[in-house]
Amino acid sequence: MLKYLFRRLNLLIITAFILTIIAFMLQHWSSGSIDNRNYFLQYIDYMANIFQGRWGISSIDQRSLLNKGLTAFASTLELCFVACITSIIVAFPLGILAGLKRNGFIDYTIMTIALIGLAIPVFWLAIIMTMLPNAVGISLPVDGNISPVFEVPVISGFVLIDSLLAADQYQMRAFADRAAHLILPAVVLSFFLITEIIRLTRHAITMIMRSNYIKAAYAKGLATKQIVLRHVLKNALPPIIHQIRLQLSTIISFAMTIEIVFSSDGAGVWLLTSIQEGDYLALPAAVLIISGFILLSSILIDILLMIISPTKRKALYADQ
Amino acid sequence: MRIIFVFTVALLLGGCYQNESGLSDTLLYCTENSPQSFNPQISHDVSTLDATTHQLYNRLIKIDPTSNRFIPDLATHWLESEDKLSYTFFLRRNVSFHQTDYFSPKRYFNADDVIFSFNRMLNKNHPFHSVNRVSDTFFFNHPFTNLVSDIIKVDQYTVKFVLNSPDATLLANLAAHYAVIHSQEYAQSLLSRGHPEKIDFYPIGTGPYKFKNFQSSRVTRYLAHDLYWGEKAAVKKLIYDVTPNNTKRYTKLLSGECDVITYPAASQLSKISKNTDVVISSQPTANIALWSFNTSREPFDQVEVRQALSHAVDQKTIVDAVFFESASATDTLLAKRSWAFNPRSTHINYQPDDSLLSLKQRGYDFTKKLTILTPSDNSVFNPNFHKTAELIQANLFDIGIDSEIISLTHAELEKRLLSGDYDTYVTGINIHINDPDNLFRPLLSCDSTVLEGNSSRWCSAQVQELLDSTLIEPSFIKRVRNYYELQKIIQEQRPYFPIAHVLRMDAFNKNISGLLVNPLTGINFQNVRKIEAR
Repeated sequence: MLKYLFRRLNLLIITAFILTIIAFMLQHWSSGSIDNRNYFLQYIDYMANIFQGRWGISSIDQRSLLNKGLTAFASTLELCFVACITSIIVAFPLGILAGLKRNGFIDYTIMTIALIGLAIPVFWLAIIMTMLPNAVGISLPVDGNISPVFEVPVISGFVLIDSLLAADQYQMRAFADRAAHLILPAVVLSFFLITEIIRLTRHAITMIMRSNYIKAAYAKGLATKQIVLRHVLKNALPPIIHQIRLQLSTIISFAMTIEIVFSSDGAGVWLLTSIQEGDYLALPAAVLIISGFILLSSILIDILLMIISPTKRKALYADQ
Repeated sequence: MRIIFVFTVALLLGGCYQNESGLSDTLLYCTENSPQSFNPQISHDVSTLDATTHQLYNRLIKIDPTSNRFIPDLATHWLESEDKLSYTFFLRRNVSFHQTDYFSPKRYFNADDVIFSFNRMLNKNHPFHSVNRVSDTFFFNHPFTNLVSDIIKVDQYTVKFVLNSPDATLLANLAAHYAVIHSQEYAQSLLSRGHPEKIDFYPIGTGPYKFKNFQSSRVTRYLAHDLYWGEKAAVKKLIYDVTPNNTKRYTKLLSGECDVITYPAASQLSKISKNTDVVISSQPTANIALWSFNTSREPFDQVEVRQALSHAVDQKTIVDAVFFESASATDTLLAKRSWAFNPRSTHINYQPDDSLLSLKQRGYDFTKKLTILTPSDNSVFNPNFHKTAELIQANLFDIGIDSEIISLTHAELEKRLLSGDYDTYVTGINIHINDPDNLFRPLLSCDSTVLEGNSSRWCSAQVQELLDSTLIEPSFIKRVRNYYELQKIIQEQRPYFPIAHVLRMDAFNKNISGLLVNPLTGINFQNVRKIEAR
């Protein structure tokens, strides 16, 4: 186990090293540095600053870039998280249903909807969703993170949590307002995720239903319900999680696009305004924060997979 | 199963979403841009004026919106000297400055504050003169430098403005947005703490609202000033929310996320006006959309070419297609409401055939590709620069002139304008006070640079003489006559093709009352009341 972790960390360090080089180059290029020392020394300095949390200062409002970036990214993550939960709740049952009733009417219906979802560009759907609810008489906020009426202090950066922490001032109104502001962006993002998860689940379920141990279970005389709950789901989960891990960066970039449409103060809007205002130092900071997150989370997911799936445990041994 | 139930309930709860602007002590104003600073002395854009002039500050005098007369603000009354060379203002007593978490005033407003506020602009050696690099911009002290020679403190509550020469525009300038009064005590405390730059971003004034905070370049919060000397604001919390997209602003107005919005989309005005829950306020302004000809370049140095091109452009189509009902087409630079407007100005007719003929007679080179420069960002004087340029391009094409539209961002545009490398430029000008000089000087004076407004690079001795002599002319009749003359020359010479005078548009929900919008100095929330939404 330790050996395995060590190996993963090795990979992390190498990737992180490459990333910091990219970030360093970006920084070097954008600040127009006239430092004549050799690049290696400059890089060492740069890394020392990164580790001490001195990521530079935003030229827009003189706040720390690390701070701004983390706050913005937390808001993006919050959106991703809410959308993920929503889509898992919706898509998992649908995917299982489609997988079990393969090539039946239900399967075709579900898959048609999923395919349409896959074909619709996210930013277009976002623009439509800013208008559609209002047109059918549902009044939902389409702009910003939270109503400016509420002055929620930034503590964790996750506005849902922060608004709960500010509950003694606004009771639950701030939280409810934040939740309302999340609905539309989350719906748009989960639309993409739902189609993705339905496809993956359906595929995984079909593959497993064909396997010999399922046939054996049928031969044992178990009911379909028992088979699905006891054997199929457990084995279908790892490939789905694995695939979603690969999609992580897509999900985050979609979330950033959606944020721009809904003008929520997340990483997307932060980067866009930074570029528009010529605050290019935000770019390397964003590269480090976002890719750092993706690296860390993919390792965490690996470990999770290893825990829940015996087949993945093979990776524990160095010879495999 | 349980989780699905919880989820459905959560969605249903979301459906019961009650927007928070229902609170009657809170008002949300959705604007187009965030203010450049919180000091209208240094920033003259509409967003800054809306955010500051009437909310945070007072001036010595102001203009009554109904009678258009000068009425007292921080000065209770004033006297003009016999020789018209000095004005004495008597100040209001017991006026307190804002108390905020960054400043607590220890004294009432007095003559020192007036002197400080104006000396920052006038006196080059003033410690605040070059703070925030404000003195680099032409408009910073321009209205007062040639006007006022000295400001004398007679006693604690009396100040005397001494003029260089008799000038009728002093009162208009004192009622303009840049004549707001700052706290000298606050400025001194900032100076002693070593942060003079904060004066423009953490404002202290005497207005009905005080600054609370400015968050992530988007939200500005104000609180009512409890010790305001006049009628206190009914709405206790005022919030400005920057929403650049005009369709989204309207959506937010409908959903109740905004109570008042600025500049609804010009193309949606007819639809919005059908909504009985929404009130549209529109104010004529002197702001004008223009197409300027670079008179320093061939062939636009010839008046016949400028005239011919003016007749080739279909102004009505541009106004209908770009401005809809948000502007009124115009043939003249000066708005019809102005006292100096010359009623006998000639009309520019759309006559492409005559225009073509005239160009051919002049031996115009039709093979030359004309450049039409436009800003890439739209502004208050044109909702769509690019579309305007495209329509002009189509009109020019009809008479056989090939043209190219060059759309540039702010910084690139400035460079290009200064280099003079352009034929024509789609632009406009923002007017700050009602005096005609405020329009003509930036556009036509030889001393005015391209960035200040003279984008046609116009310089004529005759016009300059008229401009300068009219400014110091004491006789009103003569001033009017001079401006008539000036307009006649400009109509004939046509360095600019006027497109439209734009309207200042705002929309608000019908439970809002008492909103005042002054096209020159900005929006005023002091008397706004809000009926609780049901």
